[in-house]
Amino acid sequence: MSETRTLLTDTADRLFADLAADPDAPFAEVWPTIAEAGFESLLLDEDQGGFGGDWGDLFAVVRLAGTHALAAPVGEAAVAAWALAQVGLTPSEGLATIVPMVEGELENGRFTGWLRGAPWGAAAETIVATHAGSLLRLRTADARIQPGQSPVGEPRDVLTFEAVPTEAAPSDIDLFACGAFLRTAQIAGALDAALAASIAYANERVQFGKPISKFQTVQQNLAIFAIEAAAVNSAGQAAARAADAGDASFEFAAAKLRANMAAGQGAALAHQVHGAIGFTLEYPLHRLTRRLAGWRSEFGGDRFWAQRLGRRVAGLGPEGLWPELARRSDAA
Amino acid sequence: MQTFDAHPFDPPAGVETLRREVRDFIARAAPKSDAAGRANCWAVCDADFSRAMGRAGYVGMTWPVEYGGHARHPLHRYVVLEELLAAGAPVGMHWIADRQSGPLLLRYGTEDQRRTYLPGIAAGETYVCIGMSEPGAGSDLASIRTQGVRDGDGWRLSGQKVWTTNAHNAQLMIALVRTVEGSQRNEGLTQFLIPLDTPGVTVRPIVDLVGGHDFNEVFLDNVHVPDTARVGPEGNGWKQVTAELSLERSGPERYLSSYAALVELIRFAGPDPEPVLAVLIGRLIAELWTLRQMSQSTAAKLAAGEDPALEAAIVKDLGNSFEQDLPRAIQAALDGAEDLSAATDLMRVLALLLQVSPSFSLRGGTREILRGIIARGLGLR
Repeated sequence: MSETRTLLTDTADRLFADLAADPDAPFAEVWPTIAEAGFESLLLDEDQGGFGGDWGDLFAVVRLAGTHALAAPVGEAAVAAWALAQVGLTPSEGLATIVPMVEGELENGRFTGWLRGAPWGAAAETIVATHAGSLLRLRTADARIQPGQSPVGEPRDVLTFEAVPTEAAPSDIDLFACGAFLRTAQIAGALDAALAASIAYANERVQFGKPISKFQTVQQNLAIFAIEAAAVNSAGQAAARAADAGDASFEFAAAKLRANMAAGQGAALAHQVHGAIGFTLEYPLHRLTRRLAGWRSEFGGDRFWAQRLGRRVAGLGPEGLWPELARRSDAA
Repeated sequence: MQTFDAHPFDPPAGVETLRREVRDFIARAAPKSDAAGRANCWAVCDADFSRAMGRAGYVGMTWPVEYGGHARHPLHRYVVLEELLAAGAPVGMHWIADRQSGPLLLRYGTEDQRRTYLPGIAAGETYVCIGMSEPGAGSDLASIRTQGVRDGDGWRLSGQKVWTTNAHNAQLMIALVRTVEGSQRNEGLTQFLIPLDTPGVTVRPIVDLVGGHDFNEVFLDNVHVPDTARVGPEGNGWKQVTAELSLERSGPERYLSSYAALVELIRFAGPDPEPVLAVLIGRLIAELWTLRQMSQSTAAKLAAGEDPALEAAIVKDLGNSFEQDLPRAIQAALDGAEDLSAATDLMRVLALLLQVSPSFSLRGGTREILRGIIARGLGLR
């Protein structure tokens, strides 16, 4: 790990741990602390006032947000700021976020339509959206907002726009895939945290006269859990490496699909090992597992990414798959 | 905690050229076979192909030139291996010698042993089998009973090995033997290099459930070997086999054994697959791609001189589960118009893999043993 990345992850780890200690703090108090630390401008070049970080740095930071079950759109803000800068749209003064579902029309510079599932949409000043080969910069002040929630209670809002003047620029940036990458990183971190909690609990909890970690069935379950968490961490890091080298459309898709598969199994095993205590509101495991449940379907569920990947690979033909896998990794 | 900290797979320059060379070599030298013949290809033996690989410099790639090797980078070797496995080339004859016996001799062997055996292995002409398991010592390897007793300036070896892959093809066996009578568990074990034509050695075939002959029983009846047949110090055997198993567990062969069936699925599904098959292909690709990253990262750690024993166990268990799930998942997704009696490439490769894939999570350490290793790495035991 590079020195700058270590510095970055140390800062993120400390800050996110502090914030996680008070999970009921209002977002209006939480966000300024994160913004002040500069995570929004993680991917911006230094001459744009940014940190000059790469996708590997972003993975490391957003993974830690997942580890601490942080209730804030750290990754969304970083990607939104990066996307605006990439196409030369006006930077957002306040929080900017991205959105998975966009429907509508852009006519004569005016947008009419819906954004759904916007993470902290109501709290944001700006929403950046991919729409028909363009990047849209929408002001939440122009929207009618209907609040929505993820399973754990994070805002996932619906915003409706009626012929509002909208900045737009042609772009091939796929914000949906970027969102999938962010959720992969969060799943990687949350699985590792839920695994660590499960191991600690299994070593403490005594039944039949010994810690339950001494029972082979429990050991085998935790081993399966560790394998799944390892797979997501590996996939996410490889996807980041591909993004740093160029096109990562294949890798973002594969990594999110693999993360979705692991998220379900990992959350189930965490609860199985914890027994009834893990099912209480008081015990913090649910902050991880309820997020895992939501993230599985955000920015593409299993079927979405599997179908997209499957069609892409089918198009390569039976003899085309291996050379393509090799070519993509050789280029990274 | 972070369960998997990826080590970048950054081989020296020239990988694209190397891939092209290997693909040309395979097109030229590998026998044409159908999908079933390409499946699980590192268990398929072909001495002519192994010798061709030796001539092309693809065996003993990383070993020093003075022992017949080619002083190549270990990650270049990895690239060659994954190309061979993806193409389904029959690499079984020399696989074990190249993967673990040669490295074992380089690390622990005497100068004389290296000069005597490594050039033949690198030429693709000398094959080695591994004498570890015994009738009473499978997963519990430390309970082996084959005994070695000092006899003048040599040793007398007696006992029985079993599940010995390729003992009927190999010229040599590297056997784990108890050399301290009454020693407990993993103490007092020593490795010996035994030419299989030594008097007192008997090899008997064990036919597997599809009628194939891969493994054998090997009987050692008062076999005399000189002390120069000993590999490494007396009593160092457990440490040596443990190191060997690390090399054995994370290679590309641990997730590519069923790759031929995935290729046939893509062929069967066509360029515009129906949704059920597109979803299945996508899911299998996501798993395959992830496993490749994990295997490559582990190879890069090995190449950097680390001992990623925990990662290797993770790669093997996840890889074996994938290789076993793949033919079952394909079988389940087909519409049932054809069954496994059909003579199509897809059905033939599925039929083979559905029968032989149970061995994938047995060979090289059972799933249960690997998960025990992982549990120990997690601090549970």
